[in-house]
Amino acid sequence: MRSFSEGWKRIRSAPALLLGVYAMTLVLALPLAITMRGLLRTHLGASLAADGAATGVNYDWWQEFSSQATGMGTTFTPTIIGFAATLDNVSSLLDGQRESAPVAAALALYLVAWTFLAGGIIDRYARQRPVRTAGFFAASGMHFFGLLRLAVMASVVYGWLFAYVHRWLFLEWLVDHTRTMSVERDVFLWRVALYTVFGFLLVVVNVIFDYAKIRLVVEDRRSALGALSAAMRFVWRRLGRVAGLYALNAVTFLILMAIWALIAPGARGGGVTLWLGFFVAQLYLLARLALKLQFIASETALFQSSLAHASYTAAPLPAWPESPAAELMR
Amino acid sequence: MAAIIGKIRRVPFDSRSGHPDLRRGVPHRRTSLFLAAVFAVAAIGARGQGGSDQQRGSDSQGGSKDPPLRVVGVQTHDAPEPGARSPRNANYDIDVRLDHAARTLSGRQTIRWRNTSARPTSELQFHLYWNAWRDPNSTWLRERKMARNYTAPLPDGWGAMDVSSIRLHEPSGSMRDLTSQMKFIASGDGNPEDRTVLSVPLGLSVEPNETIQVELAWTGKVPRGIARTGFIEDFYFIAQWFPKLGVLEDSGWNTHQFHAPTEFYADFGVYDVRITVPSPFIVGATGRQTSRVDNGNGTTTHRYHEEDVHDFAWTASPDYIDLTRTFTHPGLPPVEIRLLMQPEHRGQEDRYFSATEAALTRYGAWFGAYPYGHATVVDPAFQSQADGMEYPTFFTGRARYFPSRTRQTPEMTVAHEAGHQWWYGMVATNEFEHAWMDEGINTYATARVLAEAFPDNRWELRYFGGHVPWSSPDVPFSRLDNDRMAGYRDNAEADVPATPSFRYWPTSAAIMSYNKTALWLHTLENHLGWPVMQRVLSTFFERWKFRHPQPADFFQTVNEVSGQDLTWFFDQVYRSSNTFDYGVQDLVSERRDDGAYRTTVIVRRYGEATFPVEVVTTFTDGDQITEKWDGLDRRAIYTYDRASRVARVQVDPRRVLLLDTAYTNNSRTLDPRGGEASLGWAARWMVWLQDLMLTYAFFL
Repeated sequence: MRSFSEGWKRIRSAPALLLGVYAMTLVLALPLAITMRGLLRTHLGASLAADGAATGVNYDWWQEFSSQATGMGTTFTPTIIGFAATLDNVSSLLDGQRESAPVAAALALYLVAWTFLAGGIIDRYARQRPVRTAGFFAASGMHFFGLLRLAVMASVVYGWLFAYVHRWLFLEWLVDHTRTMSVERDVFLWRVALYTVFGFLLVVVNVIFDYAKIRLVVEDRRSALGALSAAMRFVWRRLGRVAGLYALNAVTFLILMAIWALIAPGARGGGVTLWLGFFVAQLYLLARLALKLQFIASETALFQSSLAHASYTAAPLPAWPESPAAELMR
Repeated sequence: MAAIIGKIRRVPFDSRSGHPDLRRGVPHRRTSLFLAAVFAVAAIGARGQGGSDQQRGSDSQGGSKDPPLRVVGVQTHDAPEPGARSPRNANYDIDVRLDHAARTLSGRQTIRWRNTSARPTSELQFHLYWNAWRDPNSTWLRERKMARNYTAPLPDGWGAMDVSSIRLHEPSGSMRDLTSQMKFIASGDGNPEDRTVLSVPLGLSVEPNETIQVELAWTGKVPRGIARTGFIEDFYFIAQWFPKLGVLEDSGWNTHQFHAPTEFYADFGVYDVRITVPSPFIVGATGRQTSRVDNGNGTTTHRYHEEDVHDFAWTASPDYIDLTRTFTHPGLPPVEIRLLMQPEHRGQEDRYFSATEAALTRYGAWFGAYPYGHATVVDPAFQSQADGMEYPTFFTGRARYFPSRTRQTPEMTVAHEAGHQWWYGMVATNEFEHAWMDEGINTYATARVLAEAFPDNRWELRYFGGHVPWSSPDVPFSRLDNDRMAGYRDNAEADVPATPSFRYWPTSAAIMSYNKTALWLHTLENHLGWPVMQRVLSTFFERWKFRHPQPADFFQTVNEVSGQDLTWFFDQVYRSSNTFDYGVQDLVSERRDDGAYRTTVIVRRYGEATFPVEVVTTFTDGDQITEKWDGLDRRAIYTYDRASRVARVQVDPRRVLLLDTAYTNNSRTLDPRGGEASLGWAARWMVWLQDLMLTYAFFL
């Protein structure tokens, strides 16, 4: 519990980080959104179909667009509206569905960007004092390749989980086991059970790699494999505390989802209504990002309270090299 | 006189039950006298016809002989009783036993069949539908593999139907065994491994209007739920389960092999069926239950009877919740609705009943009253493959454990299948060749029912393996969506609708039969107006109920009732695969030296199909000009000199032509809001993308 609240405290003390990752999310999504706007605008042309689409859902036009869409255009479906978007994304993830190539490319770029920033984020939360922009990016750069190696290992593990374990659980075992069941409730409960099993495996991998990243940055480790094995030891020896903290954060996530389900804006109206809804949606995304940072911050706090002390990091405070002119002035 | 009577090949008849009396070997005395009188009249009349009778009486060597005495103009005693709605020329008396442990049926049936065609026949042809799932080499399974998402049956999931004996009642009263002469035929694709059509040479000629009686013994291996029939756990839905006669038409036997994209075709008759199942099972079936007998050995025999139907299906399960409600409506006869419900769908019964009642009310008012007085609705088990299917007086719906929050299920399905009682059940079209005549007309009518009875319908999707529903209140599901516009656009050119349905490409067969037909019927309604359209359909129904109409009969009815020759329309929508696409090519409004505006409107026919459309030009001062374009040329140009600039132009603004595959290009405005609309929707899409990014950020 102390680590949970400590995590939120560290987030509040570094609002720039939250704004920074939000900006990154926005910047990486923007080019695709501009492309999508172009696709929609081209299709609407100067037609009157735009009148209906400007103030709400013109489903007839929407279906016509969908029937002609290719590539990224195929992602423009009614599932993008309000809470359906979140439901669709989580469902697609759990059901192992693939994204279109442009979206997959954006996701990959996003994950690489996060990997780069993660070093600076963990370093800042660990030090618990301002490091300035230069120091932040210096830390990010310093730890990037180590974190990248961890990310590659993580992608191999996750890839195996989805390609083999998920496939075996949901496309083979579940189908074979429930194919002869005549009560949908029972089939659904089996699916939920498998979601739980698979979700547990994802969480275990997720937790281990989280602490691997933390140990790599906080202890200034050079070996990604070393950080990984150290993380496994750490998690195993403090299973209860690690699990408890993760559970607290997960419950917070569920509460956020429930709130979002209630307040998610629909698709009616244009003008002020539309942009108000967009603003509310951005606030929700900001909250999700905060929660993402909370996972990192609280786990860092837990690690430091277990094996070190608050603000401990092995690496010296990153200093941006001064320019030759500045040296001359000195 | 006895010799004359013997020639007719009558069989013993029990006048009390109305069924063949197989216990007796001599005709009923009163009936014999009646027939004798009839024959006497016929014989006297035949003497005046001279040569033509002698010609009919010629034997196969070309010589003449006394014509076989047949009842000309008067039906035999097993022909329709006064008040019969249909010809009743294919009557089935069936005993069937379900072996629940072995998943088999064993049956005996007696068929009384009257040749209602204009040609004699010396064979019978039967459908053995369940042989479509006997092995992977059947025509049905070969065609299904061409479609998406094919899954082979489980090892215990195959079906089969085997006729162990067939015997013909001779005029003398003896039985002639025809079993050794049975053979499978595949007149469609010549597939020697397809065993869905059985031909049985009779060794004699059945002349027009003559009746024969045959007895069959057969067994069936119940398949695991496939194509609306089969079992899953303790749930059985049994359809196409007995050897069923094809239809003898003037051109010969119409007994198609069972194809993946098609359904069925049979003659009307009386069905009397005794179904023996384990006693705990609740049974529902076509018709009314007339008796229920506990056999004392753990089984119960349920007897069902129905007249003037062309098929019989049944269901059995120990888990059903059995509910009844009576439909009443001023001006329509009451109907007792029996609902057999799955326990896990309890709470959705009102939705089933209200959807059935909505169909009974509107179809009854629009086309004609439902005459049977009862209907059984089945809520099928999950994964039974029995959902959304129709049989006479008996049909299935579709419900989910997490109830739909819209009207998609069960209302849409139930209203559609109830509607099939008219289009398929009473107007008994050939579903092998003209599936559009039942599916398309019914889809069109169902869409109208749903728009009236359930106008609040919304788009819905299901997540997490298709279980959890989510709908957006902002995305309406309109009548056009119920006409299935969405699927049509992608497949508009897939086939020529006039192609016999069994030759449609498997993945787009439904689009042709359901979607495209509903859309052109709705277009026709827009063109003629609903009052005329309603008269067309009610006339067609009244004229062809309990008969087998062809497409030409429908088109003729449309032309007759509308008072227009709409052949040009049917040439476009039915006899070709051309698509419709009208649009605005250009819109310019140039200011002249005198301050007025010269507006040029260029509209274009992008598609190959043609239809007359309106072109409405609106000016900034509010004035409108409507042009009627016959739509034949590739282009039409309209020029206007007006004080005001043009605001917008629309081709077919009233959306008469629903088959236009690209309606967006039908309009153009000089003050477009495409930028605003695309910005808003791109912003909403970006939120989805950001949410997706954060979801994948879980992995970091």
